[in-house]
Amino acid sequence: MTTVRRQLLDKIEDPRAFHQSAHELRELQLQAARELFAERREQIPLLQKRAADAGVDEIRTLADLVPLLFSHTAYKSYPKAFLDQGRWARLSQWLRTLTVQDVTQVDVAGVRDIDEWIERFWRAGFPLLATSGTSGKCSLLPRTDADRQAAERHQYYTMGFQYPQRPARDRHFFYLGPRGGPNSGVDIGLIHAQQWGRPDSIHFLSDEPLRLADTLKMVELRKRMAEGSATPGEIAAAEAEAKERAARMAPRLAELTEKIIACRREPMFLTGQWAQHLQIIETARAMGVRDGEFHPESLISAGGGVKGIALPADYRERVDAFYGSVRRSSGYGMTEMLQTLSKCEAGRYHRAPGVILLVLDESGTQLLNDRSDGVVAGRAAFLDLSCEARWGGIISGDRIQVDCADSCPCGRSGPTVLDSIARFAPPGQDDHIGCAGTIDAYIRGAIDA
Amino acid sequence: MNSEQSAMQTMQSEAVAICHVIKGECITGAGAAYRSGGVPFTAPLLDLDTLVWPRAEPGPAFATPLTEIIDVLVATGDYLRRDPDGLLASALAHLAKVSTLPEALLARSYAGLHNHFQRRSLEFQVEQELGGFDVLDGWREVPCLSGRAARVRAFPPRLVHVLAGNAPGVAALSIVRGALTKGVHLLKIPSNDLFSATAILRAIAAVAPGHPVSRSFSAVYWRGGDEAVEGTLFRPQFFDKLVAWGGAESIRSAKRYIGPGFELVSFDPKTSISLIGREVFESEQNLQEAAALAAADATVMNQQACVSSRFQFIEGDVDDCDRFCAALQRELGMERPAATPLGKPLPEELAQEIDALRDLEPDYRVWGDGDGRGLVIRSEQPVDFHPDGKIVNVVPVADLRDALRHVGVATQTVGVYPLPRKAALRDALAARGAQRVVTLGRAALQEPGLSHDGFFPLHRFVRWVNDED
Repeated sequence: MTTVRRQLLDKIEDPRAFHQSAHELRELQLQAARELFAERREQIPLLQKRAADAGVDEIRTLADLVPLLFSHTAYKSYPKAFLDQGRWARLSQWLRTLTVQDVTQVDVAGVRDIDEWIERFWRAGFPLLATSGTSGKCSLLPRTDADRQAAERHQYYTMGFQYPQRPARDRHFFYLGPRGGPNSGVDIGLIHAQQWGRPDSIHFLSDEPLRLADTLKMVELRKRMAEGSATPGEIAAAEAEAKERAARMAPRLAELTEKIIACRREPMFLTGQWAQHLQIIETARAMGVRDGEFHPESLISAGGGVKGIALPADYRERVDAFYGSVRRSSGYGMTEMLQTLSKCEAGRYHRAPGVILLVLDESGTQLLNDRSDGVVAGRAAFLDLSCEARWGGIISGDRIQVDCADSCPCGRSGPTVLDSIARFAPPGQDDHIGCAGTIDAYIRGAIDA
Repeated sequence: MNSEQSAMQTMQSEAVAICHVIKGECITGAGAAYRSGGVPFTAPLLDLDTLVWPRAEPGPAFATPLTEIIDVLVATGDYLRRDPDGLLASALAHLAKVSTLPEALLARSYAGLHNHFQRRSLEFQVEQELGGFDVLDGWREVPCLSGRAARVRAFPPRLVHVLAGNAPGVAALSIVRGALTKGVHLLKIPSNDLFSATAILRAIAAVAPGHPVSRSFSAVYWRGGDEAVEGTLFRPQFFDKLVAWGGAESIRSAKRYIGPGFELVSFDPKTSISLIGREVFESEQNLQEAAALAAADATVMNQQACVSSRFQFIEGDVDDCDRFCAALQRELGMERPAATPLGKPLPEELAQEIDALRDLEPDYRVWGDGDGRGLVIRSEQPVDFHPDGKIVNVVPVADLRDALRHVGVATQTVGVYPLPRKAALRDALAARGAQRVVTLGRAALQEPGLSHDGFFPLHRFVRWVNDED
């Protein structure tokens, strides 16, 4: 790793990591981006191609990064037919275009499903991660052990960064998700468990590892519905299975809730989705637990899981009131990033010194925050300088506002992302109506993406 | 805070002001601010009371003879062709700012709007769909089997239309059909075409001021799904049916108002395809001809229409198929009546997805760039994404019947080459869900008087009422 990049990434260990002068950092970040690009373009075929197409041979300004950013779809751009037809070697060849590693050497003979394919990669020393794939395809994110270590270090220094204590493996630990699986959310849960959890009191919602094949089975059924070959019996069975899986988790969550309640007057670390917190509150109420009974040094975070779930309008307020004045942690980033942004006391998100924060116009082609010092609104994009296996440049579908000022009301340095993150409306949700459409509009139920 | 405020001010000063038309009257004012695909616009504040026609009174044109209505429509067509007051020119200039289509294509579309108003075409629609004028103008005698005398009338309906904005013809078609059924019609205009419906209604008001037809229409904007508007208006007390284009997106919220007395007539969102027989490889001439016809079908409104072909199944081996793909890609970049050589460049995400396929030869092969001139992808199975913006996915098959499994309830138009292959395929296509089988290259030609999305619109729009002795 080059020295400037190393220097920037190591700054995370500095207690003043988030107090660096934005101006100074900018120069270092530009240098690091220049060095990183020069190295990666030789290693990652897709980056090389993008650079050639865009005519970029060197990063002279941050704007040069813009045509080199990958969209999140890049990591799921493989044809799904490869999975359906079990063409695992072809899938490896596809992945090769996105990574510095020669993953085509991984032996995939005899692989039966995507979980086995991923397992072979892990065994061969490529611990790649995947997204859950509910939209029809899962993203496959190449990773090295060094990437895992970078994520661990980042979490160590930034989880609850506004509070004095660092992780000391001394508190009750609850992660309301599975204990294993090649998924970035699960992986961060495991990192937190290892960093914060008292070895005798670490709890997961499920000990069954997350399996992608289960999700993809639903996707497969969806495809057959589109073709008109799924029978009513199969559809009913899938709906019932989805209900049954949810029902199976309910007693487990109730059991965990009892443990959480029992430990509430001691420091704990608790991560769950909004809907799960609401279920905890319901159970706790029935047990006679009132608002604000949790230990003030507990670190509690909530997030995700709001898609397609009916939550009451005041779900945030309910959760806030129930846990009371505990430590709350929240972050912002993309699955493709190793270093997510952390929310400060002023409700703004701070990027680590090793992350270049870019604000682009809606089309994603113009850089808006290069020389600004006011508030800039646009599409969020990042260059995560810590990525070793992949190119860390990624463009999001999020509309963010960034205050480019040198300082944040919390006392740390800028720039900061304001707490107004929203999705850019996809066509159709922008009240744009057309007569052309796809079979997706004709499929409903648990099979729904 | 200051920079945000000044940004807001700039936004408002640049906003396009749209007008509403209510019962023939043009309403202006900037009471409400919205955005369309990033472009800000303002619209007059809605007064819901003005948007209904009380059931206590018959609609303005309920008793107007059809010949008189057709005269008004023909005069409107003539006005649209001449555009003496520059109404269409001004609508076009504004539309170009919010539309996803190039101005040249919109201009051609506007220049052809008057074709929807031709007398013979209007008469033919009524004859084909309803069997004659009599049943609209009065009560048609039906001698019942029992010997009892009875009459039936295609009674004028009260309709709310949620219009699509991907082609200006949608507004013209809806107004023509609405006028022919004599009912009252509230048009909810889409944010991707804020100007065509009001321009046509203003044309009607110009040629026939105060005429019952003019007073039977309103066209206004509200944000789709706005509960304050839809929750109030979408009731059987005010309207009989909701005529919705665009399926799931436009009716996501509206569908909960559907119930007894308030019916849904849906022009569903559709995908169109082509089936190209092995005859295409019999001569170089056939190949070139079929490629041109296939490109014409694919590029209708630069592939923004439901009739635009997106997947093309071709009988042949991969090498033959690749020759066709190369020819097709060249043809996609040609100027055509309903297409411009250069469409919009591909959205980044789609471009990246297609780029990934380029590295997957020989399983996939891609012709063309994402520059808007058209792109062809050959694959063994249909691609996972929705080809859009002059993209065609060509899939080789051993027999055209092998393509049937990719035909479903979302399939609208199927173009077949050559014509003689059509008859052997049409029943199987229809059984799968397809709605329209055409000769390759004719997808854009939609004949008035034939069915649309599986039904006869005039027949569905009206209320069939009996008078039985």
